[in-house]
Amino acid sequence: MSSAHPLTDNEITTINFRGHAFAPLVSGALYWPAHETLLVADLHLEKMSSFARSGQLLPPYDTAMTLERLERDIALTGARKVIALGDSFHRDEGADTLPDAERVRICRLTGTIDWVWLAGNHDPSVHRLGGLCTSEISVSGCVLRHEPVLGAQGVIAGHLHPAARIAMNGKSTRRPCFVWDENLLILPAYGASTGSLNILSEAFGGLFNRARLQVMVMGRDRLYRVGLNRLVRG
Amino acid sequence: MSQLSPIVEDWFAAKGWAARAHQLDVLAADRAGNSVLLIAPTGAGKTLAGFLPSIEDLIVNPHDGLHTLYISPLKALAVDVARNLDAPIAGMGLKIKVETRTGDTPASRRQRQRFDPPDILMTTPEQLALLLSHPDSARLFGNLKRVVLDELHALVTSKRGDLLALGVARLAKLSPDVRVTALSATVAEPDILRDWIAAPVFPRPAVLINAPGGAAPELSILESEDRVPWAGHSAAYAVPQLLETIKAHGTTLLFVNTRSQAEVLFQSLWAINDDALPIALHHGSLSVEQRRKVESAMVAGNIRAVVCTSTLDMGIDWGDVDLVVQVGAPKGASRMLQRVGRANHRMDEPSKAMFVPANRFEVLECEAALEAVAAGAQDSERPLSGGLDVLAQHVLGMACAAPLDANAAFAEITRAWPYRDLPREKFDRVLDFVATGGYALKAYERFAKLRKTPEGLWRIANGKVAQQYRLNVGTIVEEPMLKVRLVRARGVRKGATTGPIGRGGRVLGEIEEYFIDQLVRGDTFMFGGEIVAFEGVVETEAYVSRSYSESPRIPAYMGGKFPLSTFLADGVRRILADRDNWRVLPDQVREWLELQEAASVLPGRESLLVETFPRADKHYLVCYPFEGRLAHQTLGMLLTRRLERARAQPLGFVATDYALAIWCATDLSAQIRTGRLSLDQLFDEDMLGDDLEAWLDESALMKRTFRNCAIISGLIERRHPGKEKSGRQLTMSSDIIFDVLYRHEPGHILIEATRRDAARGLLDIERLGVALKRIRRHIQHKPLDRISPLAVPVMLDIGKEPIFGEAREAVLREAAEDLIAEAVGR
Repeated sequence: MSSAHPLTDNEITTINFRGHAFAPLVSGALYWPAHETLLVADLHLEKMSSFARSGQLLPPYDTAMTLERLERDIALTGARKVIALGDSFHRDEGADTLPDAERVRICRLTGTIDWVWLAGNHDPSVHRLGGLCTSEISVSGCVLRHEPVLGAQGVIAGHLHPAARIAMNGKSTRRPCFVWDENLLILPAYGASTGSLNILSEAFGGLFNRARLQVMVMGRDRLYRVGLNRLVRG
Repeated sequence: MSQLSPIVEDWFAAKGWAARAHQLDVLAADRAGNSVLLIAPTGAGKTLAGFLPSIEDLIVNPHDGLHTLYISPLKALAVDVARNLDAPIAGMGLKIKVETRTGDTPASRRQRQRFDPPDILMTTPEQLALLLSHPDSARLFGNLKRVVLDELHALVTSKRGDLLALGVARLAKLSPDVRVTALSATVAEPDILRDWIAAPVFPRPAVLINAPGGAAPELSILESEDRVPWAGHSAAYAVPQLLETIKAHGTTLLFVNTRSQAEVLFQSLWAINDDALPIALHHGSLSVEQRRKVESAMVAGNIRAVVCTSTLDMGIDWGDVDLVVQVGAPKGASRMLQRVGRANHRMDEPSKAMFVPANRFEVLECEAALEAVAAGAQDSERPLSGGLDVLAQHVLGMACAAPLDANAAFAEITRAWPYRDLPREKFDRVLDFVATGGYALKAYERFAKLRKTPEGLWRIANGKVAQQYRLNVGTIVEEPMLKVRLVRARGVRKGATTGPIGRGGRVLGEIEEYFIDQLVRGDTFMFGGEIVAFEGVVETEAYVSRSYSESPRIPAYMGGKFPLSTFLADGVRRILADRDNWRVLPDQVREWLELQEAASVLPGRESLLVETFPRADKHYLVCYPFEGRLAHQTLGMLLTRRLERARAQPLGFVATDYALAIWCATDLSAQIRTGRLSLDQLFDEDMLGDDLEAWLDESALMKRTFRNCAIISGLIERRHPGKEKSGRQLTMSSDIIFDVLYRHEPGHILIEATRRDAARGLLDIERLGVALKRIRRHIQHKPLDRISPLAVPVMLDIGKEPIFGEAREAVLREAAEDLIAEAVGR
């Protein structure tokens, strides 16, 4: 990049990974225009209702919220295919115990466009909600799977729910983020009921080449690219 | 004296005492079957007054089972009162069994107490709730004669008071003979308290008995040769004089309003304490062992001074205190009376107290407080209507004890004073919430906690529900805290993640997670009497290292817990408005007010002064409502929204107890002059409508409040030692729950409870509403060409505020712009 012209908004908000251009969305989804494919990680559908089983009657609306968000992103990007990078259901049985309204909603989606469900540690089993259930998939030299792997080349994954805490002038704020280097790209968790993990925590240890690490955090209405010198723990 | 049994009479005689009039009055009222509210200062023999009726009754009438239940807000007080009661009972040679029951009581004894109770049981509101949730509670309390509620004034303004009120209503149902004796410090409206205790035992009346007050306190304000600062809260200027004062007295209690102020004062006293006088520190963040050590040293008379917070406001006598010093704003007259009462627990001698203002506004506030305390004026808070989250907890507790009939339960609950106006419809929604979550979407019938029996009673679904209830009982929700551990500093290296953190140092105490959240490694702050540097968070501990810097980088003042009372605020306005009142003020403060008079005007007693002026490249609006920091903060939030709509480009605001300053990019004076901006419209009460709603939508305060409601109501579980989630996770997940619920069902009963709490607590909306009504069409605008003397203190606070809301987004923007600048080589 020449230092003559300032970065355009577009350049700031595009993720270039292994020669491919991706458009991250402020919802936490990643759109791959070349394949007209929308990538989403860690939906954790039916998370709140799984708490209800153990006596904490949390609001039963998170599944609907996540699906709503997903429908909006599909409409917004015009995606023809969705790849869910695992942990789509908070419990493996989640796909079977879905309330009817949500089941119908998901089947309508999977009946309309191509759909791939990758297996996650929360939902390893194959289910019958339409689309393809598999453990990983290769697209144009990139391997899409749930968990990142050490030392792999060109993996796009989820699982870790990355977030960054950014410090500036003695103040700080914490947001979910996309994080990547030349070999690995991790998406933030997409589900309405998901928490997050700081990318400086031990769980991320050794996964990335720090010298090439890039971070894009989710703001309220847009994404922000931030420098590593701004990242703090916590 | 014929009222007393010979045994009791003889005991008094042997001691060379006589029963006091109010003690006999309480006895007579109780014998007549009435409830009693006894208002008495400390040292008036309250304990004996409270228990004399029980002792008398137990002497005359043999009794089976629990006779008297005593409830105190503090565990330690319950234990202490039991000990104090042992002496007369033993002295009279009576076989009355007195026991305590707190969280520290061994499980085996707690178990035994349920089957074989003592005559008199001393406990806390939480333990009462637990006892009531057992199926055998009807038998345990079936023969109860008396309930004694200690320090009731301190309980009724909180959710613990709601829980207690519901508990007492339950007791009155289980034992129709029961009568209540409440002991209280002086309050502003004793009749409300009297109604509070009378309501559950209706139609039995409650009588009010006032014990005579002690000698009038000796009060003074510290007079200083040094300059009283314009702003700040540390009272550093007064520290040398304070040390001299400590030297001149036996034992001194120095009260401050926040933990961080306590830290700063303690540190600065020790910095010049060349004689090494034993001066100690006592506040809620220090470890329990540390606090106990200080307390026993006080009892032993080994300590000359303790710097403390509200942790020593009430409770047992820690020894002979000669002087109470209030450092910093007094905030409220009743609070001061209580603190002043901590000096000298002997009735006939005057308590001695001194106020030390930390800045010039506080001089005015101290003056107002001095007059109020001298006149015995009270501004204690009024108890509020009961929390729906507490009600949900109680309803589940009732169902744990026995299947619940909705009609009977509603009738019982509305006998509790805080719930006397509860609409049936709300009760039904709370019941629905307890049973299945209360959602419009009926998704959880199969996971219901309560199920309806064929007879129409609500029964708990299984034993696990009762177990969960008992683990979550109570209304005290701790801020998520992190342990503070002192470790060796890491080497200074670039980057935040390099170098291991030394481990295994000693624990200094606990600190609020939200404070740690805003720190960056290397930030220094004051804790446990020393300056420490933040190293990082490891699991649930904040690691710090010893720092050798002279002053901490993170401003210590995090805002007082208690806002300035309306009563004192009015006192301050009164002093300001009338020059005749200035005579009592120190010269420098008077000069400051004279400067203000010359440069601008002084705020009137009923009107609102608004000053506008340019400074550097910004334009400021400073107003002086004197309604306390919380109400000002809310006002600041709402005014900035309106200024934004008026295209005045507001950039930020800062609030103190006295004033609010907002700064904008456009010329406010000119806009007001040309009529483009109307102050009457800007400050119109209608801001408490839509603007407030819109702001609440985005407010982090709602989330913080929701977390408490969610825990108290039993929606999410409380942390427990051993199997706890870290506070970090709990906070995060309650935020997520709030987002989901607020989006989809903003009318849910818990959102309603949250809204109510936020409006009363953190936002102080009621008070703001009253103030806006008062100043309507009484706004006095003063355009100035520069900052006024009165505006200086609030302007000095700019930049010391923690950030939230919009400012968080700004951090991201700045961080991103910073990267762009780097990328384009600027």
